[in-house]
Amino acid sequence: MPTAASKGDDEHVHEAGEGVLTSIGLIALAMLAAPLLTRPLDDRAGWILALAPLSVFAYFVTLVPEVAQGGVITQSVTWVGALGIELAFRLDGLSLLFALLISGIGTLIVLYAGAYLSDHHHLGRFYAYLLGFMAAMLGLVLADDLIVMFVFWELTSVTSFLLISFQHDQAESRRSALQALLITGGGGLALLAGLILLGNVGGSWQFSGLSPALIADHALYPAILALVLLGAFTKSAQVPFHLWLPNAMAAPTPVSAYLHSATMVKAGVYLLARLNPSLSGSMSWSTILITVGATTALVGAVLAIRQTDLKRVLAYTTVTVLGQLTMLLGTNTPYGLQAFAIYLVAHAFYKAALFMAVGSIDHATGTRQISRLGGLLRYMPLTGFAVALAAFSNAGLPPFFGFIAKEFKYAGLIELGMAGWVTTLVMILTNALLLTAAGLVFVRAFLGKEGRYPHTPHEVSLPMWIGPMLLAVGGFVFGAFNNLAEVWLIDAAVQAVSGTAVPVNLYLWGGITPALVASLLTVALGVFFYLRRTRVRRRLSLWRVLWRTSGDMIWDRLLKRVFLFAGGVADRFQHGSLRQHISALVVAIVGFALIGVFASTGEDLAWPEVTNPVNLAALVGCVLAVAGAAAAAVMPGRVALIATLGASGLGLALFFLAARAPDVAITQLMVETLTVIFLALVLRNLPPTRMVGSRKPAAKRFHALIAGAIGLVVSAMMLMTVSQPLPGDIARWYLDNSLPGGHGANVVNVILVDFRALDTLGEILVVGLAALAAAPLLGSGKPGKVAAEGSSDFGSVLLRHGIRPLSALLALISLMLLWRGHNLPGGGFIGGLVAATSAVLLALAFGVNRARAVLRVPPTTVLAVGLALAASAGVIGLLQGQAFLTGGWLFPGGLPLGTPLLFDVGVFFTVLGGVLLMLFRLLERED
Amino acid sequence: MEIIASITVGLLVAIGIWMMLDRGLLRVVLGVIVLGNGVNLAVFVSGRLDGRAAAFVGESGAPALAANPLPQALVLTAIVIGFALFVFALAVLKRSWELHDNVETDRITAVAEEPAPDLAPKPVADGHATPARAAETEGKA
Repeated sequence: MPTAASKGDDEHVHEAGEGVLTSIGLIALAMLAAPLLTRPLDDRAGWILALAPLSVFAYFVTLVPEVAQGGVITQSVTWVGALGIELAFRLDGLSLLFALLISGIGTLIVLYAGAYLSDHHHLGRFYAYLLGFMAAMLGLVLADDLIVMFVFWELTSVTSFLLISFQHDQAESRRSALQALLITGGGGLALLAGLILLGNVGGSWQFSGLSPALIADHALYPAILALVLLGAFTKSAQVPFHLWLPNAMAAPTPVSAYLHSATMVKAGVYLLARLNPSLSGSMSWSTILITVGATTALVGAVLAIRQTDLKRVLAYTTVTVLGQLTMLLGTNTPYGLQAFAIYLVAHAFYKAALFMAVGSIDHATGTRQISRLGGLLRYMPLTGFAVALAAFSNAGLPPFFGFIAKEFKYAGLIELGMAGWVTTLVMILTNALLLTAAGLVFVRAFLGKEGRYPHTPHEVSLPMWIGPMLLAVGGFVFGAFNNLAEVWLIDAAVQAVSGTAVPVNLYLWGGITPALVASLLTVALGVFFYLRRTRVRRRLSLWRVLWRTSGDMIWDRLLKRVFLFAGGVADRFQHGSLRQHISALVVAIVGFALIGVFASTGEDLAWPEVTNPVNLAALVGCVLAVAGAAAAAVMPGRVALIATLGASGLGLALFFLAARAPDVAITQLMVETLTVIFLALVLRNLPPTRMVGSRKPAAKRFHALIAGAIGLVVSAMMLMTVSQPLPGDIARWYLDNSLPGGHGANVVNVILVDFRALDTLGEILVVGLAALAAAPLLGSGKPGKVAAEGSSDFGSVLLRHGIRPLSALLALISLMLLWRGHNLPGGGFIGGLVAATSAVLLALAFGVNRARAVLRVPPTTVLAVGLALAASAGVIGLLQGQAFLTGGWLFPGGLPLGTPLLFDVGVFFTVLGGVLLMLFRLLERED
Repeated sequence: MEIIASITVGLLVAIGIWMMLDRGLLRVVLGVIVLGNGVNLAVFVSGRLDGRAAAFVGESGAPALAANPLPQALVLTAIVIGFALFVFALAVLKRSWELHDNVETDRITAVAEEPAPDLAPKPVADGHATPARAAETEGKA
């Protein structure tokens, strides 16, 4: 949930619709609870988890009367105020219809999945994915804000990816999931562009506020239409994007039943319906929708009949139905829109039932191959009864809901006139094939002679047959008592889809109409097809062109090309040569600097005129720093490397001291000491570095040139910088406010722990993370003896006796440095480094075990305590109603004590813990 | 003094980059330190070197010619972070030597992409498969 929602924006919430957002939240909560519940309860968790969608379903049922009378329930919470994006939800007839389907069928699916996947060891994960999808889908159909709708839209794509790839040990699942994600995700990108254009053009970022007149006349209308349709068509598997839907059958059956029949694939259709009032202002809307929809319907039906797998038959008939729904929206006639709403419900009912039933058949018999099934009714009477009802609805036979859908479909098309008649002929063929498919599912599988089964079939358990049964009976009830559906659901939905008021009147018998004739033709043709199914299927197999273009071949080739191209591009840039990377970077920097030089007028290329006098100590520091670094760059020996590098660092410390920066100088000194220790410990086990630079002289010269050029550029940049006067007076501000505001005389320390404490918090976090990352790498290898008895280099008795008090003294000094740091040189960083050095001495002389014993707590704890202290110092400010890390002060007996001091203690422990964590691990592996 | 400091920064950066272009990974890691020192000095010097007294304030207020405290604070933390990251780089160097017996800059990428000897369960037939090729074979399956 977005955090902005919590901050005082509650007054925007309309009281009427508080439950809308809550319902999404409840299902999201169930998603989080699913893995926890499933661990102790196994598949019984389904009964508890199903309560979430069930209660949401019940909530939406209570809203039915209000919405059926034309009421609209809204809820709005500001999300991204600056962009005008609101978590706006709006429940009208269309949204309610979808919300009921999603939560109602969702409940049955959750129950079904528990039984279907009862022996799967990742059932909890499955429930989480499924409920996550459910929440996303609910959000999608309830959202009124364009951007919020899109966020949920993408969430359905992602959760669907997880569900399809649930059996990810199978290559087919992974491939199908990727295909679905790429197609729907690609369409999603187009949709986002389309929605942004739509929001800009339409005068509102809410669906309910879009102005059809503004949109239809705008020059960008074709672009909006193309982009939005691309998004909707990919999601709803319209030709030529229908590939992914049948392949998504690689998912477990509950997923297919839910996502690929009732919900996700209908998201695209939902979007079209939602935008129908706003976008249908042109002929192209109807033309595209009818053409694409009808083509999809026919292709899906033809492909369905050709399948041998029962589940794939259903998958392709789903493609058909999605095509028909798209087509019906395109008609925009009263009958067409009524048919849309009826068909939407009818299909969701029977298809979810059939999918679940096919899953049950698979579960009970071990096969889904049509040729092996038959006579199942005597083994699975309950499932068989449900399938019979659902299949009749599917076939469009009276008095089922599917029949009314079919009648209205034809009536809607005929209303269109000439073009409608052509489409009607296509639809008669399509629906006849659908009837054949329904025949395959029920008659072939459940009647006739007994099939050849891998094992003896049995009736499935209650959670598995109750879903199909309820849905199938629902299809019958809505058909036989169609007044019920009309008054409570269909009417409001149709009004929401249509731009203008549409009279809604459902009936089974409307007299002898052209639609009835078309219906009779369909049934006759369908029965004929079923009886001659072997021949029909063989005939259809001959249309090779169709299989080739609709198959996966093109997709595979395309994907291969894309991967090869991407690989080629990546190989060119990620060649793996560090030296080439660095060379390219440096050349680019130098090049840009040169452009700057040539583009300048010459005024800003100044040589510093007024400089401070040369300070001898600083000069010696500079010379030492450069000489040491130069020696480290060319010397081959390991000891020489360590020594020269150390000298370079000391030179820098000297410079800092001469430049009146004692804190920086001490830090540099301590870090240099520890650097040398780490280097010496690691280098002992590395090979000597005999070679210097590159092998080839030409490369060597090139590298020298590059290094020289960047040196010149940086020097010039620095000279130009210091030739200008220091802009602003930040330094003065800090100097003036340090004592009154920060109660500290050491301005550098006050900046670190008070004025810019948030920066410091981030920085110590980096130190801690680097230490945590480096420790395991340093601690690998064989354990050595330093852990037990210390380094043999410290074998001298005298030395060992000297180290103990020295170490104790250093520890004391470190605490003193920490305490006085706010007013005198010192502080958490320096104190932490000194304390670490003290522990290092102990560990080297007496062994890590001894040092650990003295420290008592492990370094990781010290690190964690440090970070926690620093963060809690910030929280104190927060608790007092001020910004995070605002300093709070107390003055017991005139002694200033404040949260910045606590923060500095946190810094101390973080640095100490980090350094010791790395060092102990390294030393323990030393010989 | 500013001129000398500026030239020192340039020299340190040049030496650092030169070391990072070295054949041996060890000198690359050390080059990072030298480069880091140069950059720290650059930040420090951009605060100017006008200070005649350290940035400590008394009851009577700050000294007239106090050093600029802000770059000092920035550099102080940068030194500690630089140290932590240096140790991490050193740790990677140590590990790659232990696992691959190799610390050559240009070969380390190729070596590191092979399965580590102590982690590889079995020799892979197509060990050098690029992601593109792997996806391709998967697509065919």
